[in-house]
Amino acid sequence: MVNAIADTSFLIDWIRYSKSKLIFKLFNVIYIPENVLNEIKSERALIWVSEGLEEGGLAIFPELPEISREALDLVVRSRRVPVRPVDYPEAFCLVVGRRLNFTVLTENGGAIALKNYDPEYFGVEVLRGIDIIYRLWRLNHLNSFKDELELYQRETKHIYSRKDLVKYSDYLK
Amino acid sequence: MPETSDVSDKLKEWIEYFKEARDIRRKYANWDFIRSQPPKLRIALEYYIETGDLFNAAKLAGMSMEEFNELRIKAGIPSIG
Repeated sequence: MVNAIADTSFLIDWIRYSKSKLIFKLFNVIYIPENVLNEIKSERALIWVSEGLEEGGLAIFPELPEISREALDLVVRSRRVPVRPVDYPEAFCLVVGRRLNFTVLTENGGAIALKNYDPEYFGVEVLRGIDIIYRLWRLNHLNSFKDELELYQRETKHIYSRKDLVKYSDYLK
Repeated sequence: MPETSDVSDKLKEWIEYFKEARDIRRKYANWDFIRSQPPKLRIALEYYIETGDLFNAAKLAGMSMEEFNELRIKAGIPSIG
């Protein structure tokens, strides 16, 4: 199993999903950057994180100056492109993903787009909640991809657009 | 590695994708709720609707991202894109 790093946009949605703990079946360790921890305040989210740390599925990723610098450069670079840019938290995760071959977990559209247009990041695996649910279903941890996706969207108030759904259209009939 | 024209086509697709996401946020937002908020929160919610950018919207509102996400849900704005 591989390691992953999650940004705030992913975590705050994913933690609202009633089967959120299933994610630990897919990754060796999921790292949470220190800056992401500062954005988490609710009791539910803090309990989820503390239990994950206690059980070993989560670990904190420190603010390393070299990665921070590169993340800031990426923030600047993404602003030269006429699509939604990335900000520091997701840029930090993308840099870690590229350097350490970690899967990046994000719901940030800017990060998902950047992976598609910036050659340096073509090789980084970037996954969203929908991708995690699909993988859990394929590994028989969930009974129905369609039903779970509907549940996830209901519980998180996160919806996926036609473009997001098209790659899974065969499994959503 | 993709050709430059491929990258340009991809950028066009992403521009359309973000426009569609913005239109959906505008459509589902509870505008009465948003207009009833104090200026700091109203402006942050409007910024979020236009951009989908949770990080900076939360900073504008003076909240953590998770707190702003709760406000987004109260305002009926879907997270998309």
